[in-house]
Amino acid sequence: MSDLKKVDALEGKAGHPALCVLPEIEKEDELFEIIWTLQEEGKLTLDQIIQSCTIKECESIIADLAKHGWIKLKGQSIELLPKGEKRARELVRRHRLSLRLFYDLFALDGAEAEACKFEHILSPEVTDSVCTLLGHPPNSPDGKPIPRGQCCAMFRQEMKPLVAPLADLMPGEQAKIVFITPGSHSRLDRLSAMGVVPGSVVKLHQKKPAYVLQLGETMIAVDKDITKEIFVKKV
Amino acid sequence: MHDHGSTEGERYRNSDLHKVLLIGNPNVGKSALFGLLTGTYVTVSNYPGTTVEVTYGNAELNKTRTLVIDTPGVNSLVPMSEDEKVTRDILLTDKAGVVVQVADTKNLRRGLLITLQLAEMSVPFILDLNMDDEARSRGIVIDQNRLSQLLGIEVVKTVAIRRSGIDKLLKGIQHPRPSIIDVRYDDAIEGGVRDISSLLPDAYIARRALALMILSGDESLSGWLHANIQDHVIAEIERIRQAVQSKFNNSLGYLINQRRMKKADEILEQVLTRHEAGKSSAVAFNIGRLSMHPVYGLPILLAVLYIVYQFVGVLGAGTAVNFLEKTVFGVYLNPWAIKIVNFVLPVPFFQEMIVGDYGLFTMALTYAIAIVLPIVGFFFIAFGLLEDSGYLPRLAVMVNRVFKIMGLNGKAVLPMILGLGCDTMATLTTRILETKKERILVTLLLALGVPCSAQLGVILGLVAGLSGLATFIWLGTLLAVILLVGYLAAKVIPGDPSDFVLELPPIRVPQLTNIMVKTLARVQWYLKEAVPLFMLGTFLLFIGHKVGALAYIQAMTDPIVVNFLGLPSRAAEAFVIGFLRRDYGAAGLFMLAKEGLLDPIQIVVSLTVMTLFVPCIANFFMMVKERGMKTALSMTAFIIPFAFGVGGVLNWVLRTFDIQL
Repeated sequence: MSDLKKVDALEGKAGHPALCVLPEIEKEDELFEIIWTLQEEGKLTLDQIIQSCTIKECESIIADLAKHGWIKLKGQSIELLPKGEKRARELVRRHRLSLRLFYDLFALDGAEAEACKFEHILSPEVTDSVCTLLGHPPNSPDGKPIPRGQCCAMFRQEMKPLVAPLADLMPGEQAKIVFITPGSHSRLDRLSAMGVVPGSVVKLHQKKPAYVLQLGETMIAVDKDITKEIFVKKV
Repeated sequence: MHDHGSTEGERYRNSDLHKVLLIGNPNVGKSALFGLLTGTYVTVSNYPGTTVEVTYGNAELNKTRTLVIDTPGVNSLVPMSEDEKVTRDILLTDKAGVVVQVADTKNLRRGLLITLQLAEMSVPFILDLNMDDEARSRGIVIDQNRLSQLLGIEVVKTVAIRRSGIDKLLKGIQHPRPSIIDVRYDDAIEGGVRDISSLLPDAYIARRALALMILSGDESLSGWLHANIQDHVIAEIERIRQAVQSKFNNSLGYLINQRRMKKADEILEQVLTRHEAGKSSAVAFNIGRLSMHPVYGLPILLAVLYIVYQFVGVLGAGTAVNFLEKTVFGVYLNPWAIKIVNFVLPVPFFQEMIVGDYGLFTMALTYAIAIVLPIVGFFFIAFGLLEDSGYLPRLAVMVNRVFKIMGLNGKAVLPMILGLGCDTMATLTTRILETKKERILVTLLLALGVPCSAQLGVILGLVAGLSGLATFIWLGTLLAVILLVGYLAAKVIPGDPSDFVLELPPIRVPQLTNIMVKTLARVQWYLKEAVPLFMLGTFLLFIGHKVGALAYIQAMTDPIVVNFLGLPSRAAEAFVIGFLRRDYGAAGLFMLAKEGLLDPIQIVVSLTVMTLFVPCIANFFMMVKERGMKTALSMTAFIIPFAFGVGGVLNWVLRTFDIQL
């Protein structure tokens, strides 16, 4: 139940993730994150960056990045160059994976701050391990997509994930819903009216010809597609 | 059985009668309770979505004349399908009487989701924890006093099907109160609620509840909004909603539900205790699981079909029909009727009208009572048993994949199976489907390829006299046509398929009294609806015969009926009366076959055409009512030539390859 509260608190925050107050090189990292996020939203302009940025020397850092071939700057338009694109993708991936880790798994208060520290420390190998541990989640808790890594494409199952899609449970297993990444809004509304929300304990009865779930005294039959979007932790 | 017309409803709703409104999740026993309170029977089954329309009944409760209103089940008062909208709209547009929320005790968590919404509406209500026996047998006990305290309303426990707890319920409805419980949402949502509330007019339900519905993105509310608020205010409301939504990545509807669910869990924690479950529920549970097992499910499905066929086709259409037709009507009633009429009415014209070849007695009543009635009676019993056992939703699970081919999902099985009872009421039941595309598809397939019980019974009686191969060809052609047309129509008709999310009710032992009452109600309905049409059809045939129009129609249709379908000229009669009722048409073929005028190939061809042929008049009117005149007409325009086309091709194939049936 306390999980719910935290996810709600996070979702309650508007706009961009809180910025992390950190030393020199990490200021660059913050800018890369802002650029990536704005690009996702289709609002990438120089003014927008300056507006979203809390770092004082923001503009001079941008000029620096352009000089070293990370980004291409032309009037208002900004474009990530290949090596900048790679750096931004990895940063955002680490940040959002860390968020998932702290919210869902550790159910920590102040996950945002922890995630900020983590994103600068994680090595590529550890990042992939965290991703695998969490079952290659497609979204961060605030609903934003997590850039895919190599591990997601290869689907290495060497380390058993703690959080996995409901679709991967074996019939007869029971698990607690950790988060749901809905394909559509109406689907989520319908499921939640039947009691399918984070925190509910669900038991999988069968997978064929359709998935049959039990929540409390309610039995529901659903398509496989839906169970791929419900992420659970075994109990 | 579903003739509670809306005009009657309007009149009731606007009257000053004391009102009791039954509301709750699907399959919690609202209709059973309605029957208890009013003494009127409405269809009670063990699957969600049996009631798709509002039903009204009068009752004398606590010495006051009261109007009791039964509503379609809802999972949330933010509707996701048409039947759910019906329920919400009653709360929205009617002066509230007493609302009785019926909840399934073992599933109180979901019931509370509705309780919290009723609380937000500030309507006075009481909570009825129904099916208390089933909860106890599963080891679930609810502290009703504590719950009453927390909610600030009367809470009673009942077992509607055993009449237990009704006295307490009657006492409870004298003291309805708005609930004191309330749910606080995220600050941004609360802000949106405040802003939107200030723009809303007075309504029968609280503004806060309306504002939350709007925030949840309830599109079904737009009709009401446009009727009550000016357009620029609506635009402002929509702007506020979007502003609030933009602060979250998940849909507001989901966030609001999630918060309500959390509140429900907090309440449950204080009122629910669990003990060890009894054994009886485990047996039913395992039967339920086996019936949708990927391996054992199929033989169970085939066994169920075989038993229904034996019961309806062999026992009903064979033994019972033979007895009624040959002995009761053939030996006693018809000869007597002929004697009496000839004696009382010495005019040959009237004699022929009543007891001639196209006589009202010798044809219409004989068809209706001796052939169709026993068959539909047996079918209604079998169907009632299936309904009440809880097997049908599990069947939906088994066939989900096949239905996906037709742009539908397993949920569409319910109206389709119901169509085997009566296509007219099945067309009404398409309301449980979520998208317009699905409703159109199912309406078309019902009209095209699903024979109703009356027709099916007659058909089973006919094919029972043929080889298994003949039955197989008829059924195979039918299934192939349904699949093909469904597949193609799904490509043509715009729109998206919906998710397959279906609640499975527990497997239960059907209650004999409910089966009996239900079958009687349905037989009564059949007699009321079918017999007059049989009479009318026969009378038209008689007139047509007298003035020579029948011979003219036969001459007109001979190129199709005789040359293309290879049937005797008189089969045209059966097709003509098939317009009035499908079963009547099938019964006409039945008689032709009995007179030895049809060979096996002709029987299979004519049955196939008759099954695919146009829906009966009642079904056509229902199609117009639910889908609109244009859609209904274009479906009919497609079906008639298509049915004859399939028949012609089948005839050609069977004759060319000289298949021995």
